[in-house]
Amino acid sequence: MSLDYLFAPRSIAVYGASAGASRKLGNTLLANAANGAPQVVAVHPTADSIDGIPAVARLDRPVDLALISVPGQRVEVAVADAAAAGVKVGIVLSSGFGETGAAGRIVQDRIAKLAAAAGMRLVGPNCMGVVSHVGNGRWLNGSYFWAIPTTTGGLSFVSQSGAFGGMFFSHLRSSGLGLSRFLSVGNSADVSATDVLEWLGDDAQTTAIGMFIEGFDDGRRFVEVARRVTAKKPVVVLKAGKMAAGAKAAASHTGSIAGSYTAVQAGLRRAGIIEAAGTETFFDAMDAAAAGLTRTAVRRIAIITISGGPSVLAADAAERAGLSLPALSEHTLAQLRSLVPAFAALGNPIDLTPQCPVDHFIAAIEAVYADESVEAVVAINCGLDFPQFGTGVARAVAATGKPTTAFVLDAPGVEAEMAAAGVLRFASPERAIAALNVRAGK
Amino acid sequence: MNALSEWDSKQRLGSKLPRPVEILATSLQQAQAFAATIDGPIVAKASGVAHKTEGGLVRLGLARSDIGQAWNELAAAGDGTVLLAEQLHAELELIVGGYRDPGFGPLVTIGIGGIAAEIFRDVVAILAPPEDGEVAAAVKQLAGHRLLAGIRGGPPVDLVALEHIAKVVAELLCTDSAVAEIDCNPVMVCNGVPIVADALVVLD
Repeated sequence: MSLDYLFAPRSIAVYGASAGASRKLGNTLLANAANGAPQVVAVHPTADSIDGIPAVARLDRPVDLALISVPGQRVEVAVADAAAAGVKVGIVLSSGFGETGAAGRIVQDRIAKLAAAAGMRLVGPNCMGVVSHVGNGRWLNGSYFWAIPTTTGGLSFVSQSGAFGGMFFSHLRSSGLGLSRFLSVGNSADVSATDVLEWLGDDAQTTAIGMFIEGFDDGRRFVEVARRVTAKKPVVVLKAGKMAAGAKAAASHTGSIAGSYTAVQAGLRRAGIIEAAGTETFFDAMDAAAAGLTRTAVRRIAIITISGGPSVLAADAAERAGLSLPALSEHTLAQLRSLVPAFAALGNPIDLTPQCPVDHFIAAIEAVYADESVEAVVAINCGLDFPQFGTGVARAVAATGKPTTAFVLDAPGVEAEMAAAGVLRFASPERAIAALNVRAGK
Repeated sequence: MNALSEWDSKQRLGSKLPRPVEILATSLQQAQAFAATIDGPIVAKASGVAHKTEGGLVRLGLARSDIGQAWNELAAAGDGTVLLAEQLHAELELIVGGYRDPGFGPLVTIGIGGIAAEIFRDVVAILAPPEDGEVAAAVKQLAGHRLLAGIRGGPPVDLVALEHIAKVVAELLCTDSAVAEIDCNPVMVCNGVPIVADALVVLD
């Protein structure tokens, strides 16, 4: 069955909200789900309504999505109730299953079987739920997250960890990038990260995909699905648990030296996935993918700055990454000389200098972008808040479409201009360079 | 787990495996006859013994006149046969291996060999069997990948030949479910050409 019902349900049931004074996670879930969803019903043994939402003792209609947040020992009853009512997809957010050991695993398998027998897809257990832009700026929040960013966009995210989901939303809030879909898959008793990836690959609204993965139970299927998806849109993966496998590395032959993280890398390489080493590089790479910076490889970049030292760091990072900093053409240089002070360094990095007349920034920056030898640009500005510097970058990006990243520090006017133009800013000159050079198979 | 002898491992990997000129001699006469056909130094190894090198059961740089004594010692230390081979002069040692991952199935590994292999653990894996171009792309991921581009003006490693070895390893792994692990170590690169000097096949 398609996961359409999971990401765009027309009706929702919520199990686990309290009717009394005590506030439970289930009440957060109910409030989140009710905010924007067309038809929501609570399932509760005694209440007629909870927090203004109608409640029934047993689900009496085949809703698209059931959100189950009851205590662990009551999950089985809730899943049976939802399955009997003909629910299409159930998400069990409750914990206390496979993650706790063998006994929990047995119950988890039983729940999965129960759902499968009724033709209900099951997400979780032990997850944070679903967030989805369902169109026209309307959101489904079937999750415990009470404050989700509501900028719409093409980025979708699948997480095997609920807590990393929280880190993702925190990052999204600061980056300002727009979201398409979010799913925390938890223990994957039925719906796996691979299943979700496959669906997102066909989702027209999704243009880039991030994944937090702890383990691949179905490595080969993942590779086959992922390589079809990466042919259409970039997929960025952060793999946790790299080193546990490395512990296997004690013995002296190759197979053991390799350990299973090496196998993961082999799979990700074949699948054409962009793999990040850690949290920071993951978010940087994901942002770059979401902004379309991974679409075409660039080699020749210009570093435009009015801040000398940081631009030298950027130049070092560029060379280390195998990027080149071409000299500008005579034509471009002539244009620049007419705009910037005579002492400005017009090699590459191109330092317009803080003494450059502010009304010349735009033309100077546009001239650099127009140079044919320049494929991409990194803009650097530390604390010299001439908004025209940002305007120049914004206009040049709009005019040329050349991939651009920036490092901007304490220059809110510049930053605002760049943000409005969709230019990504990174936390250091080196990371701004790296973001232009994000590719699969590295 | 059951490790095959070097000779049996190489037989299992089949005739497509590039090897030194070598023989498993079952008698001193056979050993001496083989030695007579080899120009240059000879290697003699005890057969059917694990950890030959550590046990001092690999003799390097033998002349024809040394074969008698080597035979006496090595035949007695092993299973009564002795493996003799031309001694290769490698500019680089690699390791090509194969194993099974619980999630990703059979994989081939390529790593930088030599005495520091266990320190650097510079290994890259490819899902088996490798697809065209994957071996060349994978070796670029090695920290020591520039070693393969040629050392001190020497020839680069023949990547087609290396891919061939990887495919031989992959084929055995993918077609013989009894094989748990394969270790071609060292793969000696001589004038750019990789040759499997020693191999180990471990059965489940």
